This record gives sequence, C-alpha cells and structure tokens, in this order.
Amino acid sequence: MITEDDLPESDDRLRELARAIEALVFAADEPVEARQIASVVSEVSQGPPPTEEAIREAVDFINAACEQQERPLRIRQWAGGFRMTTTEDVAAYLKVYFRSDRRQKLTRSLMETLAILCYKQPATKPEIDYVRGVDSDYALRRLLDMGLIAVLERSDAVGRPLLYGTTPRFLEEFGLSGLDQLPNLREIEELLSDPSFSQARASLLMMQGIQQQEPPEPRDSQEES
Amino acid sequence: MYNIRLQDFEGPLDLLLFFIQRDEIDIFDIPIAKITDEYLEYVRQMDEVDLDGVADFIYMAALLIHVKVRMLLPKPEVDEEGEIIDPRQDLVERLLAYMRYKEAAEGLDVLHKKRGSLFTRGKASAPEIERDVVDTIVNTTVFQLVSALGRILAEASDAPTLAVEEVEYKVADQRAFVAEALSRKEKVVFGELVHDAPKRFVIATFLAVLEMAQQGLVWLALTPEADDFYVRHLSDPLQNGDLRLN
Repeated sequence: MITEDDLPESDDRLRELARAIEALVFAADEPVEARQIASVVSEVSQGPPPTEEAIREAVDFINAACEQQERPLRIRQWAGGFRMTTTEDVAAYLKVYFRSDRRQKLTRSLMETLAILCYKQPATKPEIDYVRGVDSDYALRRLLDMGLIAVLERSDAVGRPLLYGTTPRFLEEFGLSGLDQLPNLREIEELLSDPSFSQARASLLMMQGIQQQEPPEPRDSQEES
Repeated sequence: MYNIRLQDFEGPLDLLLFFIQRDEIDIFDIPIAKITDEYLEYVRQMDEVDLDGVADFIYMAALLIHVKVRMLLPKPEVDEEGEIIDPRQDLVERLLAYMRYKEAAEGLDVLHKKRGSLFTRGKASAPEIERDVVDTIVNTTVFQLVSALGRILAEASDAPTLAVEEVEYKVADQRAFVAEALSRKEKVVFGELVHDAPKRFVIATFLAVLEMAQQGLVWLALTPEADDFYVRHLSDPLQNGDLRLN
C-alpha cells in the first residue's frame, strides 16, 4: 500500500499516532488496549482506526525515542494492554519511594502451584496435587484471593471438580503480554544434562517409557539450583 | 549425613529429589531400598510438623514401600506385550514431572522479581469482569439463606388451608418433593416451590434443600435481590428419584 510518495505523509501519521498513544498510556491508570486506542484515534481523526500493527509500530517508535534520549520510561504490553513503566535501572529510586507498599513475595508453594497451573491450565486441584505430591488447598485459596488465578468452569469428570486457570492479573504481575510468552518448560533431557544429573543421561537412552506432556523446544538454559 | 529440616521441603517429591541430587543417584536406577530407609528416617522426625503435611509424606512412604516390595518379587511383572515393568517407573515419571515444574516455578520467580522492578502509575490491573449469577453461589452464606427463609416464613400462612388433621412433614418426604419439582424444571425459586404452603411444610422443605445441597445434589444461589434463592438441579442422581437413601 505504501508507495514512496506516501512516505512523508505516513511518517507524519506515525508520529501523530505515537503522540496520541504516549498521551493516552501516560494518563491512564490502567492498561490501555489496542482496540481502545484505535477507537479513540478514529473518533478524533474522523478516519479509519489504525491497525494493531500500526499501533505496535508507533509504540516501538516511542520506546526507541525514549531509549535514545535516555529517558527512564517505556511502554510495555502486559495482559493485552499497554502501560507506561519505568525502566529497571532506576528501580532503586522507586523502591525507596514506594517502600511502604511493597509487593507481596510469593512463597515457594504458591509459585509451584502457579507454575503447574500456568502450563497445564485449565487444571483441577487433584491434578495439581498429584504433580506436587502435596495438598494444594491452601495455595489455591491464596492465589484466588490474590486474583492471580480464577475458577474457569467445572470439569465434566466425576464429581465435577472445579477447573482453575490464570487471570489477566497474573500476566500483568509477571510482565507478560500473553500466556504464549511464558518460557517453555525445559525438556527432561535438558534438565538431566545439567551437572547434577549428568550421569542419568546415558540411562535415558535405555528407557523410552517417559512420556512428556508439553511440546518441545528447549528454552534458554537457566541455572539449575 | 547432614541435618535437614523437613519444613524446608515443599513435599515428599521435593525431599526425594533432594536425596537423589545429594547422593548423585541415577534417577532411572534409584536404589529403592536405600532411599526408602533414608526417607523413613526423615519422616520419623516429623512429629512437630502439622498433620496435613505429615499425611502427604506418609503417603509417599507407603508408595516407596510398595515399590520396594514389588522389586522383591522373584518373577518380574510384565505388561500385555511381555515387556518387563520396572516398578519404579511411575515414581520416576512423577519425579521428572515434578522437576520440570519446580524449575518452572523458579523461572516464574525470576519473572516476578523482574516485573517488581518496573513501576507503573496506578496499582491494580483492570478489574475482573463481574461474574454471572451462577457464580454468586460461592457468596451465598447460610446466614443469607436463613434470612431469605425468614422472609418466606413471614409470608407463609399459619392457618390450615384445609380443615383436616394436621400433617407432619418429614424431611425425607420433602426431599422427594424437591427432587420431583426439579425433575420437571432444572431451576426453581424456593419461594415459588413452597408458595402458599404452611410453615411446617416450608421449614421441612428448607431443611431438605440444605441436606441435598450438602450432598452435592443441588446448587443454591441467591436471587439478584437476595430475598429468595434458586434451587438448581445438579447431577443425574436426582432424576433417578433415588433420594431416600440418606
């Protein structure tokens, strides 16, 4: 669609869209969704709404400008909405300023329950209990209270157990734009090739019975504790 | 042998993984007898830990002993295709699955910390969408149910509708009555169910409904005005009419 003649004009349009987005995202107290931006821009300009791609391009443009000017702000997309956030390098100042309302740290049992749930959702309590080998009643209740998980529906299985899943709030609290942004579960082979499990590697070849539930694609290696 | 505290472990699988990593055990060739003894040794120290926690650890102990016993069978077990079954296989699979999620939890922790160093205006994310009526079930307290009953009772006539001998209403009979009503309609408003009925009838029916709810046969949900409640048919047992079991 874009010809060379259009370029200066389309450049202007990008700039104007970027200004609109920067203002909206700055002023909003909550994440602003792409379709909200589109409808606002279209109403003001009396023209067609910008595409999601154009919006993302404008956001990249803003972020690039911020980076160039070394400004400590970026626009990020979490749980499908755009938010203006500070950068990591100035976190020290903000942590002192916001000292009184510290974010809650999640305990290991909450993290474990959440980890199982975000990869296996929707999942029932017995499924989670089985993986963890312990009762997850308390952990599930805490996570429900914190709004990180929710009851999605009832399973058709015997007893109609509740099916749990993560919420948009979870995505936002973990800085993810969607569940597809979660790091892939590491493959068993890869886990075992860690120094602590190096010996087991050879035996793996001899044992084929291990089934895996998640699709492969190893994630970036991370230190095993 | 170092001294470890069981509270440091998330559960029996976590404890087993600890042994395996500490002793550099081949996870596919776990010395079951040795690890079972070690495991039991630690579980014995659990006196002070809460009972719920102990139960999970003891369950795993039983599982380990079961595997150990199967290992001792003179003739190995085989599956339909004649392949030898390793009694440890289920346990190994569980340990491996647990390992993956344990690591995933550590990954999430990193994400959470990283996100914690980014600040935004405003705190909470967009509020969750209001749940629909069915979900208000969760919010129905016994107190609210009883107040709804109170209102219905206030309207219930005490005067006998017919000049006959007073009838005793039994909860069991009322269960059948409710079940019958629900077999015709999936969801009924309690007030309509006992409309114009004498007080004793309403009370017996209310008790029947509570009993059925406790047994998971019906769902109760307050009406939006919270002055009455729905009784909703839950599962098939209702249609069998076989409700007098109790």
